[in-house]
Amino acid sequence: MAAKILPVVKLATKVTIAGGAIYVAYDSGLLGDGKEGSVTLGRAKAAIPPAVEEWVKYFGFELPATPKIEFSPLDAWNSGVQKSIHALSIAPSTVSDYTKQGLQYVKDLTK
Amino acid sequence: MSEKELGQKWDRCLADSAIKFGTGLGLGIVFSVVFFKRRTWPIVFGTGLGLGMAYSNCQNDLKSHYVLHSKVAKEQ
Repeated sequence: MAAKILPVVKLATKVTIAGGAIYVAYDSGLLGDGKEGSVTLGRAKAAIPPAVEEWVKYFGFELPATPKIEFSPLDAWNSGVQKSIHALSIAPSTVSDYTKQGLQYVKDLTK
Repeated sequence: MSEKELGQKWDRCLADSAIKFGTGLGLGIVFSVVFFKRRTWPIVFGTGLGLGMAYSNCQNDLKSHYVLHSKVAKEQ
């Protein structure tokens, strides 16, 4: 009797776990619109430091302080784009200047 | 669409893509472990689903500025 019910119970447990995971994802707005997603991300970011503190207290050891990285990928990218486009825009005049200088140098050599 | 609005839309797109990728990956792992004997394809499928949802959301968000939106007036 138990041997017959066991597969059913196993299947029911698996379906409950999978269904529960899907429901949690749906309920916390992870599967919704872009706006809901960014709201959830904000909430998660705000919830991480208190959670980390609680874990640290529970385990009783101090995590090393995270070093403050002053690097902003956005600023680095933007400045890279601006510098590249600026270089491209002054490239023709720079090349012509260097060519003139080179020709002048060669003329001076032949004088 | 102003540049500021466009930038905000792209920010939302990226955040949403990250969330949907993670959610799809997580649900794929759950399904793979629970139902499919730890095979790889449910994980890949879930991740793909997540990225597809993110793409669709992004597309609708970026289009919404140019699409006519209507409201049905309530009868008084």
